[in-house]
This record gives sequence, structure tokens and C-alpha cells, in this order.
Amino acid sequence: MTGVLAATGIRMSFGGLTALKSGTIEVAAGAIIGLIGRNGSGKSTLFNCMTGYFRPQAGEITLSGRDITGMQPHRIVEHGIARTFQTPRLDFDANVRTAVLCGFYPARSSTFLGALCGLPGVRREERSLADKADHLIERLGLGPQRDQPLGTLSMGQVRLVEVARCLAADAKFVLLDEPAAGLTREEQLVLCRQIRELAKQGIGVLLVEHNFFLIHELCERVTVLDEGAAIFVGTPDEVARDPGVLRSYLGAAAEYGREMAAE
Amino acid sequence: MRRFTSRPNTIIVLGLATVSVALAARDPVWTDSWVIVGVYVLIALSTGISYGQAGILSMSQGAFAAIGGYIAAVSTLRFKLPPGIDLLMAAALPALLAYGLARVVTRLTALATALATLALGSVIEIALRNMDNITGGYIGLAGIPGIGIVDTPLKYCVLVWTMICVCVLMYENLVNSPFGRALNVIRHNRLRAQADGVDVPRLLSAAFAFSAAMAGSAGWLYAHYISYISPNSLDTQTSISALLMTVIGGPGIILGPLAGTVFLDVLVRHLPAQELQGMFYGGALILILILAPTGLLGLVPPLLAKLCANRGFRRTTKPATVKPGAAQ
Repeated sequence: MTGVLAATGIRMSFGGLTALKSGTIEVAAGAIIGLIGRNGSGKSTLFNCMTGYFRPQAGEITLSGRDITGMQPHRIVEHGIARTFQTPRLDFDANVRTAVLCGFYPARSSTFLGALCGLPGVRREERSLADKADHLIERLGLGPQRDQPLGTLSMGQVRLVEVARCLAADAKFVLLDEPAAGLTREEQLVLCRQIRELAKQGIGVLLVEHNFFLIHELCERVTVLDEGAAIFVGTPDEVARDPGVLRSYLGAAAEYGREMAAE
Repeated sequence: MRRFTSRPNTIIVLGLATVSVALAARDPVWTDSWVIVGVYVLIALSTGISYGQAGILSMSQGAFAAIGGYIAAVSTLRFKLPPGIDLLMAAALPALLAYGLARVVTRLTALATALATLALGSVIEIALRNMDNITGGYIGLAGIPGIGIVDTPLKYCVLVWTMICVCVLMYENLVNSPFGRALNVIRHNRLRAQADGVDVPRLLSAAFAFSAAMAGSAGWLYAHYISYISPNSLDTQTSISALLMTVIGGPGIILGPLAGTVFLDVLVRHLPAQELQGMFYGGALILILILAPTGLLGLVPPLLAKLCANRGFRRTTKPATVKPGAAQ
């Protein structure tokens, strides 16, 4: 499986405020790419442009050379680009299995009318989707929690459910919006393992993060955004050493440095 | 076997319908009122889909039913079509209208969508009043023939409750399909639904069209049974009553609208003075919204859990909702 998800020269402004001047990033299949930057540096805007939630005013987003700029979010998902949300927007009464099943929507072959009439094909598909969902849940190590409501899970488990939901949509690229926010270090390690597993299977991962630990653990390349433009692209170690990045992004890196020194 | 156990609501309604129709058959007055209750159950069920599932606070279910009724009247009286064929049109035309409207307005806020359905209902009502040469204007159309072999009130009773069973089955099929789950996600969060790959306006429109088709077929049966239809038979008032019944019974629960319809019907039947109906409806609504925000049937699961835990008979919550309403 090969493919590249690329955004070039994305510009996006809201009224008088230019959130993104020239957002450029490239994610290859099987790679884990980081996107970091201060608050207001334009990471979320770039993320939302790539997933169809914002329509960029300039620039181009391509999937393996095919232009997908300005497509509706559900069409982008159908092209195999799935996303998670920073704050999980979930029904906390639904159980893990139902939540994962929701991710299979693009994979369905039944029609609305067919579903109403309960055609045999629809029932067969429903059973096969349930099996696939169980399989995915096992794969992400959520087997014991399968029938629990999402509200009873830890934040780390909820994020894994979100990842499972992306995979259900048969995603070739998974865009994660601050997946480590609110997670304990142990949960972050579990998440790291699962994300690495995804990349091994050829799925391209874009990680928008504040947490430099996760970035350092996972990413082969990191793009640093500042004031709406990429100021640096390199490996996590290069990023941590670059004086320009440190100046722009001092907080997290400095903190990370202290942590490294302590360990 | 699995086919049946996976649709518990249909089994329940099938049992209830069989028993209640058998009981209603014993007295012509009961039979007659059970047909009318059945028509209202169908309209309320359609509101359950539009409001409870698609989240569209629809004020046009009565108008959809009226279209179904007028199609029944016009096609049998003016075009002499045999009754029965018109059911297809009575379901399809409201569905088309609903789909068209919803495609345009579901991208707006919930309130704007509700107002759009209210406007659609009013437009339909005005059109029915003013197309004298087709609809009979204010006077309406009388002498609508019955539905072929269905010629006694009891047969109508059986027919309408059979239609209810079929509609509940379709509703339950929907809820247990990818579309039903997606509707659930849309109600919680539209952005999340888009990330699941759901074309939100399109799915909402399809669900609204399904609900309109159901309301239309209720109107079709109503017109054939009563044999008369006028602009006042099924109007905005009907839509509001159906909404009340749905909210009181439990909008998110499949059988909620059915429970609400029967509850309000019994309430009104056992209380004096028809003119005070609105007051009792209003009182019941306020009480339910305070005491059981998820509707009457929403009380059942916690109650069952409590019963299982205590193995006792502490049934205090349910009857209490009736009494203060009567005192008001």
C-alpha cells in the first residue's frame, strides 16, 4: 500500500485573522509524522482543512496526486482519511462495540430502503460488521471492555476506541488531534504501541500534539508551525535542538529537556 | 428464531395489538375509537422517527397525513381508481415533499428546521383550502369509498393495527442498521457523524421522508375509514398532538409514541369536559418534562432494575404522574 497525503501552501483566514499563511505537510503511507506548534500557530486549522472541515482559501490538498481540496468531510472519509477529535465527541451511554460499529458507516453496502425492509442481505451484513468490530476491538486490546459504556472507560481507552473507529472506516491515513491530552504516562505508552502498530500495517499517521514525549517516541519527522507557516521540518531530535524552534516553542521542549535530565 | 428475538419491540407490539383488537371487537364503540387511536399511533410513531431519531421537531406530520387523506379521496372520488392503489401515492408524495424540504433546511439550526416544517404545514393547509375544484375547499370531500374488502369497523381496526406492527418492524430495522446508529451519532454530535463518513443532510432527509410516508399512510386509512376529509381533519393541531404524545411517551424509544398516544387518549376519555383537553395535555407535558424527561417509557428500565434489585413491589413513580395532573 503506497500513497501520500500532502497539503501544500494552505492559506486560511477567519475575517481579519490569518490563521494559516502557508501550511505545508506531507504524510506517506506507513509513516508517523508530527505537527507541533504553539497555541494559535495554525495546527488545528491545517488539520481541519485536511479533513474537510474547513475549505482553504488557497493551496492544495492531494491524496496520491489526486486533488481533494475542499471536499465535504464525509467524502474525505470515503477516500480513506479518518480523524479523531481532541475532545471526544461521544455518546457516553453507548458501549464500546456500538461506538466501533458506528465507524463502519462508509463500509456498508445496504441502502436506506433495504435497511427499513430488513432484507436478508442487510441482516447478513449486520452480522459480518459485528464480527469485524469484535475483531478490531480485540486488536486494540479492548476485548474486556467490549460491552461497557464509554462513560466508564479511562481517557486512554476512549482514545483507543476513537482509533478503532477510524480503522473501521478502512482508513489509509489516520489524523489524530492531540491524542495524548489527559492521558497518564502508562496510557500514553499503550497508545504509542498501538500507533506504531498502525504504521507497521502501512497506515499513515499524522499526529497533532503538544506532548513532546509522544512526538519524540513516535515520529520520524516533525513539522513545526509558527504564525501560520512551517518554520522547521526535521527529526524530533533536530527539532529539540534547533534554536529557532526552541524560541518559538520553548515551553514544551524546555519541559521535555528537564524531564530527560531527571530520568 | 434469531430473526424474532432480535426485534423485541415488534414482538411486544404484535402481542399488544392482537389482545387489544380482540378486546375492542367486543363493543362497536370501542372498535371505532380503537381505529382512531390507531391512526394517531401511526402519526405519533412517524413523529418518533422525525423527532426522536432524526432530531427534527416536525410540525408538519399532520399535513403529511392530510396529503395522504386527500390523495385517497381525490384518486377514488375523481379518478375512480380502485382503493388500495392510492396507498402507494399517499406514502410517496409526502415522502418526496419531506425529502425536498429537509435537503434544504437540515443544514440550519434545529429551531430553524422546526419553523420550516411549521411553514410547510401551513402552506399545505392553505393549498388544501384554496384548491376548491380538486379538494373541495373549506367543505372538504365526502363519500370516500372504503378499501375494497375492508368494509367493517373491525376490519379497519385489524388493518390499522397491522400497519402499526409493520411500521414498528421497519422502525426497529432502521434503529438496528448502520443508518440508525448514524442518526444516533448525529443527534449527539454532527461533526463526529461527519468524521464517521455520514452525509448528514442526506441521511436526515431520508429519515424525515420515511416518517412522512408513515404519516401519509395514516391519513390514507383515516380518509377511507371516516369517508370524509376536510382541511380541519388533520391539521397543525394534529401535528402538535402527535408531538405531545411522542414527548410524553418517550421520543427516543421505539414504542414511546404508542405509549404516549394511549396514555393521553385514556386520560382525556376519563376526564370531564372536552374543552379542557388542551389544559390536560399541557399539564401532562409539563409534569412529564419535570418528572420523566425521557418520557413515560424512559421510566421503565430504571424501574425494572429497581424491581430486580429489591424483588419487591415499589411502584410509586408511575401512577403518581397522573394524579397531580388531574388536580391542576
